[in-house]
Amino acid sequence: MANEITSRNIINIVKYKFVWLCVTAILLLPGVLGLIYGGIKNHSPLKVGIDYTGGTILQYGVQEDISNTGLASLRSSLEKAGIENPVIQIIHANAESKDNNTNIKNIVSIRTKFISEDTDTENKITDVIMKSHPKAELMSVSSVGPTLGNELFKKSIMALAIAILGMVIYLTIRFKFTYALAAILGLVHDTLFVCGVFALLGIFFGVEVDSLFITAILTLIGFSINDTIVTFDRIRENLRYYSKKMSFGEIVNASVNQTLTRSINTSFSTLITLLALYFFGGVTTKDFVLAMIVGVVVGTWSSIFFCTVLVSIWEDKTPKAKPAV
Amino acid sequence: MKNRIIMFWAIVLIAIAAIFVIVTKPTKLGLDLAGGSRLVLEAQTTKAIPQITDEVMDTLQFSIENRVNKLGVSETIVQRVGDKRLLVEIPGETDLQKAKTYIGETAQLEFKKPGVGANGERIWLDADLTGRDLTKSTLTTDSAGQWIVSLEFNAEGSKKFAELTKNLVGQEMAIFFNGELQSAPRVNEAIYGGKCVISGGGESGFSQEEAQEMVNLLNAGALPVPAKIVEENTVGATLGADSIAKSKFAGMVGLGFVMLFMLFIYRAPGLIADIALVLYSLMLFALFKAIPVTLTLAGIAGFILSIGMAVDANILIFERMKEELRAGRNLFTAINSGFDRAWTSILDSNMTTIIACLILYYFGSSIVRGFALTLAMGVIISMFSAITITKNFMHLIFGAGELKYPALFGLKASEIGQGYQATETKRENARFGILD
Repeated sequence: MANEITSRNIINIVKYKFVWLCVTAILLLPGVLGLIYGGIKNHSPLKVGIDYTGGTILQYGVQEDISNTGLASLRSSLEKAGIENPVIQIIHANAESKDNNTNIKNIVSIRTKFISEDTDTENKITDVIMKSHPKAELMSVSSVGPTLGNELFKKSIMALAIAILGMVIYLTIRFKFTYALAAILGLVHDTLFVCGVFALLGIFFGVEVDSLFITAILTLIGFSINDTIVTFDRIRENLRYYSKKMSFGEIVNASVNQTLTRSINTSFSTLITLLALYFFGGVTTKDFVLAMIVGVVVGTWSSIFFCTVLVSIWEDKTPKAKPAV
Repeated sequence: MKNRIIMFWAIVLIAIAAIFVIVTKPTKLGLDLAGGSRLVLEAQTTKAIPQITDEVMDTLQFSIENRVNKLGVSETIVQRVGDKRLLVEIPGETDLQKAKTYIGETAQLEFKKPGVGANGERIWLDADLTGRDLTKSTLTTDSAGQWIVSLEFNAEGSKKFAELTKNLVGQEMAIFFNGELQSAPRVNEAIYGGKCVISGGGESGFSQEEAQEMVNLLNAGALPVPAKIVEENTVGATLGADSIAKSKFAGMVGLGFVMLFMLFIYRAPGLIADIALVLYSLMLFALFKAIPVTLTLAGIAGFILSIGMAVDANILIFERMKEELRAGRNLFTAINSGFDRAWTSILDSNMTTIIACLILYYFGSSIVRGFALTLAMGVIISMFSAITITKNFMHLIFGAGELKYPALFGLKASEIGQGYQATETKRENARFGILD
């Protein structure tokens, strides 16, 4: 019989399930290779920034006020001079600071990678500063430890692991363990994919991950689980009404197609904001936004072509414990 | 209908209250967005610790971090600089004076026993019982109404305390805090059970602030060595004021496009969703200011994600509504069943997010916590705004009539009644759909 809810099917998830799994695996592969390459070559799968490693702070006293545009041009000239991802802060020199030189109004503090005996880098930075502030003087060079130390990082990972456990428990109660497992594997897939992309970006373009990257990963996890649950919810609902008339595979197909418009519209509206932030937003948050953009796209992909496929494989093999009432 | 009108005015009132809060209260921004104060601390050697080693610095950094957190200053950065200095950056509008007194104090609590010095005078000797042996301390008053600090020892500490008091029956025992004698009570009998109180020296005893500060410091843990503030400055945002100004603009543009998108795809309901979205943002922002939450970029990411989820809730509902309209239902039923059927999706996805946020907030560290807090608050408010506000407005505007202009919902007249015939969902079932 021609089924009512299958009339608008666009994608066939169940028929091509192994195709979708293969595509997912192939898409994941380059990033994973990038992570492995980074892990072997640099002892760190991702190229980490000074938030994790610590670095050097150079402080220059300047006699002028520095505007936002001045700050922006300073940043771009530093990057042109080969200083990767400098963290620039303006310190307003006040009476209590120890310098007695009253001509100094502001201090430009630049945090960058460790500069050991490599005075060449120091000179490069000084040159850039001198160009816009001829009377600037180098006040101090000191090394700083990481703001996101190992302890903090471990704590965050632990918290994330416990949070995932909490989600598994909730989803098992509301759905089934197989659904919970599929949703979590989806999250693992998304995280791995985004990390992989950044490993590759690190290898080819020197992109570093900073503490904002953790935030981006958390955000994409939130987004992706939301997307997956909406699809699962539709499967659950359709199972209630159609499990007598249709096979599990057909129900999964119908559910994915019913929620497809919604998945695309939601992802698209999130992408709009992110793209605006990427193209019009500040330089310092570009990589963060990029991680979120990649995350939203793979999150949508994984809910449709990975999590649902997993459920359709696992649930179809499970013999029905009891016939639907 | 009457209820709907009351609800409408309630929403208007909430919106006005939100705007009032936004206008009157300052926004608390984190270091990354607004900068703040920058303190440089230098570890001081003591007789007990003549050399500042790496381990000493690790403990010092940990205790200082612990303390600023106890102070309720969120999003503070504590970083090692050089061999014996710590850089502490505290976001914007914090009471710096208060922060400074908390950071510098060593909070060394010591119990001492009496002894005889070289010239026959009374001196206090180390009794090997310190603040390290405490599990917690609390502020209470004694029967005379004086403020006292009550202490609870851990297992090890209880044993030591019992031993110490047993040996000192009939003598005095001294309690020192930061090297100052607080009190020297006479021990009448051995004290078991690991509890004791400190009352202030002198006739007046402790003032409340004094006692409270001692409790806070004791609970945060002692510093291994004293730390002196050697530098103090105000700093600009770590993310750069230039970048933040641009991102603010970009965020506005993004939000504007999202609203246009909703309007374009969902037409009349889209417009209502846009209004709900504006109200939602106002309420959440007011809440951030009222609590207050220190907003960092991570927090704003949580905020943006929650906006995404609020939009998603509306998209879910409207997609459902369209399906119902295609199935030929009248407007009133379509609106109601759109909401009811979308509710399980919204409930489950939001509950999962809230659970994850609670756990992240409880176990996580600064960045993770800021994110979890704003996201959880956002999701809770968005459930209210998506369900209550949108639904109320929909009913108020469209009433109970037939769908006269399908274009208002982005549908073609020919589509109506052409979709699948869905089995009627009972409201009770739809609300908490459980897998059979």
